[in-house]
Amino acid sequence: MTTTDMGKTLRKYDMSFFMTAGALFLIGILNLYSATHADSGEPIFKYQILKFIFALCIGIPLSFIHPKTIFRYSYVIYGINILLLVLVLLIGKYALGAQRWLGIGPIRFQPSEMMKISLVLALARWFTKTNVDRELNLLDLFIPALITLVPVILIVIQPDLGTGLILLAIFSISSFYRRLSVRSIVILAVLGVVSSTAMYRFGLKEYQRNRIRTFINPQVDAKGSGYNAIQSQIAIGSGQLFGKGFKKSSQASLNYLPENHTDFVFSVFNEEHGFIGSFVLITLFGVLIFRFLQLATSVNKFYESMLSVGLMSILFTHTAVNMAMVTGLLPIVGIPLPMMSYGGSSLFTFIICCGMATSISNSRNIF
Amino acid sequence: MFGEEEIVKSHKPRAATIGNIIVIVFAVILARLWFLQIYKGKMYLDYSLRNRLRKEIILAPRGMIFSRNNVMLVDNIPRFDAALTPQYVVDKLATIKKLSKILSMDEDSIKKILAKNSNLPKYKSIVIKKNISHREVAIIETESNEIPGVSVETFISREYRDKDVGAHLLGYISEISQAQLPKLQKRDKLNYKLGDFIGQFGLEEELDLTLRGEDGNEFVEVDALGRKKRHIGDESLYHGVENVPSIPGKNLRLTIDNDLQISAYAALEGKVGAAVMVDVNTGEVLAMVSRPAFDPSMFSKGLSADYWGSLVNDENNPLRDRNIQEHYSPGSTFKMIIAIAALEEGLIDENTDMSCEGTLALGRKVYNCWRKEGHGRVTVVRALRESCNIFFQKIAKRLDIDVLAKYARLFGLGSRTGIALPREVSGLIPDKEWKKKKIGIEWQLGETLSCVIGQSYVLASPLQLVMAYSVIANGGKLYRPHVVKEIFTNSGQIISQSTPEIMSEIKISPKTLKIVRQGLTEVVNHPAGTAYFRRGKGINMAGKTGTSQVIRMSQEKLFSNCESFEYKYRNHGIFVSYAPSFDPKAAVAVIVEHGCHGNTSAEPVAAAVMQTYMKKYWPDLHKKILDEEKGPVKTKTVANTTASPNDGSSKESE
Repeated sequence: MTTTDMGKTLRKYDMSFFMTAGALFLIGILNLYSATHADSGEPIFKYQILKFIFALCIGIPLSFIHPKTIFRYSYVIYGINILLLVLVLLIGKYALGAQRWLGIGPIRFQPSEMMKISLVLALARWFTKTNVDRELNLLDLFIPALITLVPVILIVIQPDLGTGLILLAIFSISSFYRRLSVRSIVILAVLGVVSSTAMYRFGLKEYQRNRIRTFINPQVDAKGSGYNAIQSQIAIGSGQLFGKGFKKSSQASLNYLPENHTDFVFSVFNEEHGFIGSFVLITLFGVLIFRFLQLATSVNKFYESMLSVGLMSILFTHTAVNMAMVTGLLPIVGIPLPMMSYGGSSLFTFIICCGMATSISNSRNIF
Repeated sequence: MFGEEEIVKSHKPRAATIGNIIVIVFAVILARLWFLQIYKGKMYLDYSLRNRLRKEIILAPRGMIFSRNNVMLVDNIPRFDAALTPQYVVDKLATIKKLSKILSMDEDSIKKILAKNSNLPKYKSIVIKKNISHREVAIIETESNEIPGVSVETFISREYRDKDVGAHLLGYISEISQAQLPKLQKRDKLNYKLGDFIGQFGLEEELDLTLRGEDGNEFVEVDALGRKKRHIGDESLYHGVENVPSIPGKNLRLTIDNDLQISAYAALEGKVGAAVMVDVNTGEVLAMVSRPAFDPSMFSKGLSADYWGSLVNDENNPLRDRNIQEHYSPGSTFKMIIAIAALEEGLIDENTDMSCEGTLALGRKVYNCWRKEGHGRVTVVRALRESCNIFFQKIAKRLDIDVLAKYARLFGLGSRTGIALPREVSGLIPDKEWKKKKIGIEWQLGETLSCVIGQSYVLASPLQLVMAYSVIANGGKLYRPHVVKEIFTNSGQIISQSTPEIMSEIKISPKTLKIVRQGLTEVVNHPAGTAYFRRGKGINMAGKTGTSQVIRMSQEKLFSNCESFEYKYRNHGIFVSYAPSFDPKAAVAVIVEHGCHGNTSAEPVAAAVMQTYMKKYWPDLHKKILDEEKGPVKTKTVANTTASPNDGSSKESE
């Protein structure tokens, strides 16, 4: 490639995804620094920056891979991921409690985290194959449901209910976009209510049931999980319109907020930057999410469209669920806020989402 | 695929619906934020600023430590600190003035402490004075309304009942340091914070995770001045918050006998040295003291710079356990090993006699026996009894150093005993390979001649020596020494119990064993033995004296009086023994640094502890031995007084 070609490529390269995500990450890292500056020990925001750079090392090359290639390997990636999930369970049997991690040399990762993307890939490919010109009925959903439920079951028994629900949300949004008939939607909604009631009764672990009980009626809380919710709301509320200012969060630094650097970063942000700050932040998340949605309607390959919607659904469900749980709209389920919560695995997932979206966008201009 | 663009287009309405849903979801979240931050914002701000639900840590009491006879050795007592929380202070200068009066500190030093901590968040309390008196506590409590921001913080500090007795064994706890924090967090996977106390020495360090409990927490509501409020304001905001009680640490019952500890420590009074006693049939450590020591209570009460400085700058290093953290040339106590090696290898038998003329030449080098005129013809029993150097050095000419090393290692020398205490040294048993690797030169025969009398490269800790002699006492079993008998909870439930652990069983022929035991018995009980004069009453020890040379001496100084040397050039005195010689129960090793001779400095200490032991645990046996000593032994007294106080230090010169 000559220099002029390189320049042309760069000019045509769609930077919108990485730039928006990068902006969110920057806000996130300042927020992490603020949330943990009073803690003793190693400053974790440094690790987070390293993880971000590492994720970009995978995400940017990915953006140069043609969507066709991704299409070709969709099922293979899905299959490997299922095997890894089984492996986690097998190894997990020898360890104690929930086993979500798998280690390869120095790198540790959660196959359940990768499963979100693998599921999007597999569903996008399946939905592209069958009767794309008409609405779907319940019968058409049989195979996609199977594709979804296998990993959901494997993940829920880890146990990781939160991620299992995210996968169901991805399935729902993807099916909805792939023109599931209104009649089917109604039937599924009724079925969903019935099965979730049954699930609550028989399928949940005691601590999971407690969280839901706490959410509905905080008085019954036995283990103090109501404490997190209350402290989070105090943090958010006390931020008022303008917030207390950078590094001024008293709730977070007093350790009133547990896990203030993972699931509760949004509370810290709200306490310090108030309603105005969170309005800006939510707008930024909205820009990124709508960029995915817009990409889905502007491509001319249906697989790419399905893929964009799927990736969007990962980003959207995480953002919405995290914000809803820390503000007390949903029970605390342990879902990180994209680009802002501390943790490598989820950061990795969102960067890969951005990389794939960029690849789809670029495929019209560069390849 | 045909018409894909149309297909994408046909899905546009659904994308629009999804877009609308997203907008609605974010609108709901924003509405909720508006409700929390604008509508209820003032209320929440009030909660976060004024009426705080504070999570207070309840420190878990640390496990207590008892002796084998259930005497409490380590206990917890509350300690009070005066602290100041800048956030709640109304008038800073007035508060400092009042505090300086109450705590009798000058104002500048209070200001200095505050300045040092000025980078901390305002709501964090700063300790102004540690370990304040009950009177000071009372004044602060009664005047709390006039000095907002000043509070009394309670800690649990450790009290070591016998102060410096056994300080090294019990160890101490102190605050985690900045440097330790990341390392310990990783090692224990516990979320330690600065200010946490952890075991830093001895058993407190080794069994820190057992002794430390789990901290609990308690939710209290505090008002704008940091005072705890009795009534919780808005019930609806705080329901469902529950306190977590702390879980106390587990208690230890040691194998240590407190009477023996005190007896050994008293016997070492005014000396620099150490004594360790073990049960030869179990490996249980009965006593283990080292001098000089320190008061471990001082560390958890808030160590003063002066006290710390006095410990660190003391050239006798009170912070070192000489039983396990120091190794010495074992001197003549090492000859027991040579005797066994020579007998087992068939180089000599009980009747082999060699002549000692006082010197032995090897090339240009001349080796001296401690007795200038020599011992004449000596057998192995007599060589042990009178600690003849030349006898063993003549054997050394035929004994390969690697074979010698093999025997020494069988007795556990040259490697850690495996006692569960931190920073044990391994000692050193040299061989050809070691020297080649370490120094790069081939082994010299002359070095073997120095090694057989326990000098040169040979190094052993007192604990290693007492374990090696226990092997002779019990007929061949090398135990792992241990100090903890039981771990149990406050409710009396036993969590674990130690059992004797045999590290290896050594096959020594009964004949060899008998000869060596005979030699060791005569060292103490034969009038010509090197340890005869200070042998104690009613214990019937068998053992060996030794002198650990501190510096290489010139020919002329060699036979001059050790006590006339400058203190730091005097030799160390060592004595290792077991008792009673005919039915061994316990063994003891004693080192007295710069004590000149094993029999004058170390042996009286061993005899004192052994007497306490026999009186307490085997009173009948003790009485029997006493009776026997009064009887026929009378006729034997002081028949031959040629044994000089010198006991066979290495006399070598060019």
